[in-house]
Amino acid sequence: MKRMKAVSVMLTVIMISCGVLAGCSSGNSSDKDANNAPASGNAGSGASAASTVKLDIIETGNNLPSPDKDFIKKEIDKAIHSDLNLTVYASGDDYKNQLNVRLASGNLPDLFQVPDRASLKQFVEQGLLLDLTPYMDKLQPVKDFIGDESMKKTTMDGKAYAIPKAPNIPYNTYWIRKDWLDKLGLQPPATTDEFLNVVKAFAEQDPDGNGKKDTTGLTGSKLSTFAPIFGAFGVADPNTFYVKDGKLVNSLYDPAMKDALGFINKIIATGGVDPEIMANSGLQHQEKAIKGQAGIIWIDWPNLSKDQFTEQIKKVNPNADWMQLAPPKGPGGQYDGPFDAGGTSGMYAIPKALENNKEKLQKVFDLLNYVSGKDGSTLVQFGIQGTHYNLEGEKVVPTELMGKEAGFTWLYQFTGRPEMSYLQTKFAPQSKYIEFANSQPRIQILNGFLSNPDGYNPADAARFIEEEFVNFIYGKSPLDGYDAFLKKLESTMNFKTYMDASIKQLEELGYGK
Amino acid sequence: MNQRAAVHSVQETVPRRSALSEFGRRVWRFKAFYLMLLPGLLYYIVFKYIPMYGIIIAFKDYNMMDGIWSSPWASPWNKHFLAFFESPYFSQLLTNTFLISIYKLIFGMVPPIAMALLLNECRVRWFKSLVQTLTYMPHFLSWVIIYGILMSLLSQSSGLVNQWLEDAGGTAVPFLTSTSYFRSILVGSEIWQNLGWGAIIYLAAIAGIDPTLYEAARVDGAGRMRMIWHVTLPGIRTVIVMLFILNLGHILDAGFEQIYIMYNIQVYAVADILDTWVFRTGLQQLNFSLASAVGLFKAAIGLVLVLGSNKLAKRWGEGIW
Amino acid sequence: MVRSKNDRIANAVVFVILFGCGLVAVFPLLYVLSVSLTPFSEVLKNGGFILVPRSITFDAYRKLLMESNIPSAFGVTVLVTVIGTILNIVITALMAYPLSRKQLPGRNLFLMMVVFTLLFSGGIIPTYLVVKSLGLLDSIWAMILPNLVWSFNVLIMKSFYESLPEELFESARIDGAKEFRILLQIVAPLSVPVTLTVGLFYMVGHWNEFFQAIMYVTDRTLFPLQVVVREILIQTQSPLENVDNMTPSETLQMASVIMASLPIIIVYPFLQKHFTKGMLLGSVKG
Repeated sequence: MKRMKAVSVMLTVIMISCGVLAGCSSGNSSDKDANNAPASGNAGSGASAASTVKLDIIETGNNLPSPDKDFIKKEIDKAIHSDLNLTVYASGDDYKNQLNVRLASGNLPDLFQVPDRASLKQFVEQGLLLDLTPYMDKLQPVKDFIGDESMKKTTMDGKAYAIPKAPNIPYNTYWIRKDWLDKLGLQPPATTDEFLNVVKAFAEQDPDGNGKKDTTGLTGSKLSTFAPIFGAFGVADPNTFYVKDGKLVNSLYDPAMKDALGFINKIIATGGVDPEIMANSGLQHQEKAIKGQAGIIWIDWPNLSKDQFTEQIKKVNPNADWMQLAPPKGPGGQYDGPFDAGGTSGMYAIPKALENNKEKLQKVFDLLNYVSGKDGSTLVQFGIQGTHYNLEGEKVVPTELMGKEAGFTWLYQFTGRPEMSYLQTKFAPQSKYIEFANSQPRIQILNGFLSNPDGYNPADAARFIEEEFVNFIYGKSPLDGYDAFLKKLESTMNFKTYMDASIKQLEELGYGK
Repeated sequence: MNQRAAVHSVQETVPRRSALSEFGRRVWRFKAFYLMLLPGLLYYIVFKYIPMYGIIIAFKDYNMMDGIWSSPWASPWNKHFLAFFESPYFSQLLTNTFLISIYKLIFGMVPPIAMALLLNECRVRWFKSLVQTLTYMPHFLSWVIIYGILMSLLSQSSGLVNQWLEDAGGTAVPFLTSTSYFRSILVGSEIWQNLGWGAIIYLAAIAGIDPTLYEAARVDGAGRMRMIWHVTLPGIRTVIVMLFILNLGHILDAGFEQIYIMYNIQVYAVADILDTWVFRTGLQQLNFSLASAVGLFKAAIGLVLVLGSNKLAKRWGEGIW
Repeated sequence: MVRSKNDRIANAVVFVILFGCGLVAVFPLLYVLSVSLTPFSEVLKNGGFILVPRSITFDAYRKLLMESNIPSAFGVTVLVTVIGTILNIVITALMAYPLSRKQLPGRNLFLMMVVFTLLFSGGIIPTYLVVKSLGLLDSIWAMILPNLVWSFNVLIMKSFYESLPEELFESARIDGAKEFRILLQIVAPLSVPVTLTVGLFYMVGHWNEFFQAIMYVTDRTLFPLQVVVREILIQTQSPLENVDNMTPSETLQMASVIMASLPIIIVYPFLQKHFTKGMLLGSVKG
């Protein structure tokens, strides 16, 4: 009798475990049904009374306030009769994990950010994304807002699978210590040779006047430290595609690349470059610059000229005077760091499963159209009129509260923003830096349009290219070996496949023809 | 064949039934123990063993839409393992992982043991407590912070250590970008972070040593060193062996987070490990099948090492089971 | 005489080495603390490395207390840590005790089961599905149950229980004590150091946990401390797109680190004296 009981206990345990197992294995389909069931019920009642529709949205970001303090959510909910549930993830890797489990468990968000072009391709191949092409007429305001050209960035095989944000503008330039130049009696360098001399002088001639040889000429993070130098030779950063003399080129195969590497090697050989450019991560190069350890830095304007940083700079050294530097002229012309024509600061997709839920789908469209229209766009850019900004004619004038409270509104800019006017309004004191960075000549690269072919491991290739480039510029491998490097890249990294696939993709978009 | 089996079973039936009931009786005698095990076992089944089916994505072309079960099988079945074995960096990754891991195994275990012994020998109560707390604190600093601190100490251009070196007439040393120093820095910063934290478990083991053993040794006229050698160390041997075996199981881990935050392209040749490679190739590109395949490979090697070392340890009377 | 002289030298050596270790451990922490109390521009002015705070300000702490989610996240973390740790210890002890009895039929199988999960895991997707199908998403249980028992801790407790002398149990069994009572009344009081150690491991584990919260919780009011701190720490790496965000200064970051770890650091000294008490085995044996 007692034994029977024990057996039955054991059986129960096994059964419970099997039950859970079964629940998981079929989790996919049943969850999806469950997801749709209440929503379709909703659709029935929604037709009669304008009920609110709950929308789940996930993306990367930070500083989102709790829902009760989130005035943007409240305003949007009021305007389109929705109940937005936005979740943001501070780390891109956390976001990818979350997206993965949500998609795999059928716990689908209604609108989500696609991390990059490679994942867009993957999602499309797995049939995850709703083809937006048939719905484009319902998204007219979005199209008007981001521009027709932009939709190319998210189109695959002629179909639009996501909405890219409105085009952004370049932020990066060289910045140089004007006071150091004056101290040493130098002019802002206009050519690559002058640039080299200034880097050398900054390191050797004690520009900070403390009697110690404790300064470097140039700092930055990774190989992009030299972006304008590459540009001066008419090439863009390593492994980028662009059109040169009417033909599609990859910078690795551009004959001028070797010259660029040779010259960078010469700059480094002066001893004036921060020895840790490859190790600088986050804002470490910026800190070095603010500390007064480097005279030139390749960086974006916000990280050196936003109020909080100008304040730091002044505190550390009241005489420090950073100015933007136009790219030095070289044998290949004069170009600042490249600008990606296919790049976007974000794209948003709708899961395919939503096509069966017309009401919810319509609500997502309403949301996208709203944040692209005049009222909605102004809301997600600047906040609430009268509270965070005032209108003087057409001009938006920020109030003090905008800086305090409305720092998170960009999280709701699902279709982006008119970048130039946005920045000019929010960063009036930095206006001339914004203008300067935007107006420099740049090589237009096309990598944003590319997705990787099968059999090509972009991570291995990227590592190989970067390692070899570092060897070239630090003089560890002679430049005679450059052609051998390309050969090895093709033979061990399957780079040919990548080249062919990339050229084909770009030609289909009409480049290089 | 059949016949023989039949004969066999006839012969065995009678004694086997009684063996079975004997077994049943034994099980029944321990019913209270099984009842105690129940909640824990339930946890293991629900949260650990039911999800185990996820391992099969190593053999599938995992597709988020189809989920684990419905994703198509990879062809060939070992496609994702091959992608890993055929990477031009495979042998380098394996070497780096093993080396870093072995350094960490040795230098990660010995200092905490020494620390625990020293703390045990310390007779000043408040001082012992202070040192214990101070050395325990670094455990709470994340690697991002530690790297920031290392940068301000060891940076070639601006680090404190290099400034001292230069002031003393030496030349700056590229600690963070040179392949000759990087592994030492990894191991060193790990020791620093883990010294006090790692000692805790040995301290607990020491606390469990029967005080009469010390009395007896003292009566025998044993000095401090002899007491450490003959009483304290044997008293914590079980824990040392157990930790060693479990650490062997993780020999292919080598500490992803630390390396991911601290490495840079100039030291990849000595610092890139399996997990960092998987992170760049698998997870960042949403290739979960590849990530899972490498995970399985690591676990299989770990399992072999754990089983083997446990067998060895049992010969000396220790071992986990 | 010779003996005590040797002893004194030994004491001095121990003292010096431990002092050195403490010093090495403490000065990076001093840096973190000092930066959290100094305006960042002041830190940069002093070359970026300071061990003594300059022009002390509590602005960063004030800002975190007033404007961030840290206070409410603190509550969540404390709740999860307290409930979690109690459950962890109880269930781990209940598991470890039977596994320490060598005669238990199936013991090796159970132990293998425990060790196996240290190496193999099904991955995040199926685990998420289990958590979801149990209805735990968006609750504090999602931060407690998926890591209820750590194999490592089971093995530690088990090996400690194994070291208890066999006579102890036999005398209890002669008394007719039931196993639960033996565990509660004889084993538990004898194993305070190991229980506290394992409890400390669990507690710190809960305190530092962020991954489960990120995976299973989308409700911001349920985010624990480490998720909030992580958000502050990795913001410097966020894309340029959010230019309007204030980049958290290192002062703020260090302050968040201090706020997140100080409470758990303070607990430790209180536990220490119990580690050193040692067991009263001798008397029991006698």
